[in-house]
Amino acid sequence: MKIASAEGNKARRARPGEAVILFCISNQTFAIAADAVQEIRSTDSLGGAAIEIEQAEVPKVRHLVERAKRTYYVVSGCAHFGLKLTRPTLVLILRQIRAAILVDSIERMAEISKLHALPRGFEGDERKWYRGLAYLEDRVIPVIYPGGFLTTEEFVRLDHATAVSAGVPQLEGAAR
Amino acid sequence: MGATDMNGADSADAKHSYVLLRVGNRRFALRAELVEELAPPVKLHRFPNTTALVAGVIVRRGRIVPVYDVSRVLCGRESSVHRFYLVARRKFGKESEASAIPVNGECELANSEWVAGRSDDAAYFAGSLQVGDEEIKVLNLESLVSGAATAAPGDGPSEVRP
Repeated sequence: MKIASAEGNKARRARPGEAVILFCISNQTFAIAADAVQEIRSTDSLGGAAIEIEQAEVPKVRHLVERAKRTYYVVSGCAHFGLKLTRPTLVLILRQIRAAILVDSIERMAEISKLHALPRGFEGDERKWYRGLAYLEDRVIPVIYPGGFLTTEEFVRLDHATAVSAGVPQLEGAAR
Repeated sequence: MGATDMNGADSADAKHSYVLLRVGNRRFALRAELVEELAPPVKLHRFPNTTALVAGVIVRRGRIVPVYDVSRVLCGRESSVHRFYLVARRKFGKESEASAIPVNGECELANSEWVAGRSDDAAYFAGSLQVGDEEIKVLNLESLVSGAATAAPGDGPSEVRP
């Protein structure tokens, strides 16, 4: 009995934390699960591959990129979180959803042992933005919910806008 | 004993203990049983959010506690100087959550007679106390920190507070 109990305690102590990437947007630090990010690219290296899309319904999205035969909508992190506009240098291409996020810099990788629930006093959009809060080295850092960057409705609007704009050159060509 | 909610004062049993706190230049009262502690000026952690009045969070006893800058409602401006955080319980249905209010000056306990509020009082006041020559408004914490205290008809979406 004692041995089993000791092993149980050891297992609890040894429970692995969650690997996260700490990144900055407009001097604000955020965390995102490392396994939610497929790729990190510099905006310079992606510049040629980014296609500008003309639509006003989702103002935080101005470009799309094609990666591995998938279309990713590029979301301005500043616009998404309502932060002061900065010049992003990196793009986080997400794994689960067709979105890529413009960020200023990567701070570092870290491991969080506990995800604190967002207090219920927070009642605004942040409930969609964050999975919870991490307390890391005397800092409280919001942990991003990747699915919060674009809603299903926004994807539909963007897909529609992209299809329309892609169709324009064909129509123009047909008219000639 | 009369019915009592967590924020206001009941009329049937009007004598309770109250914590007197100072926000800006004014003193207010809060039912003592709501108050958990008077915390020192620990670090305020800020991150983007759109909730009215939430200035950020503090960490107390391993918990993350939202901080409500109620001076915008009570004094018409954000507090520039405060020395402590008054941590009280805010009710959410059957549960409650620790919530902090920045206060300046030291708090004190009072056992004064509660007087019902006037009809033109703001909803975040739940009557008043007469302490010496001073009339001190009793705060209804839930009304005060909920968006209702700041939202005006025709208000647009809340501004992001980083």
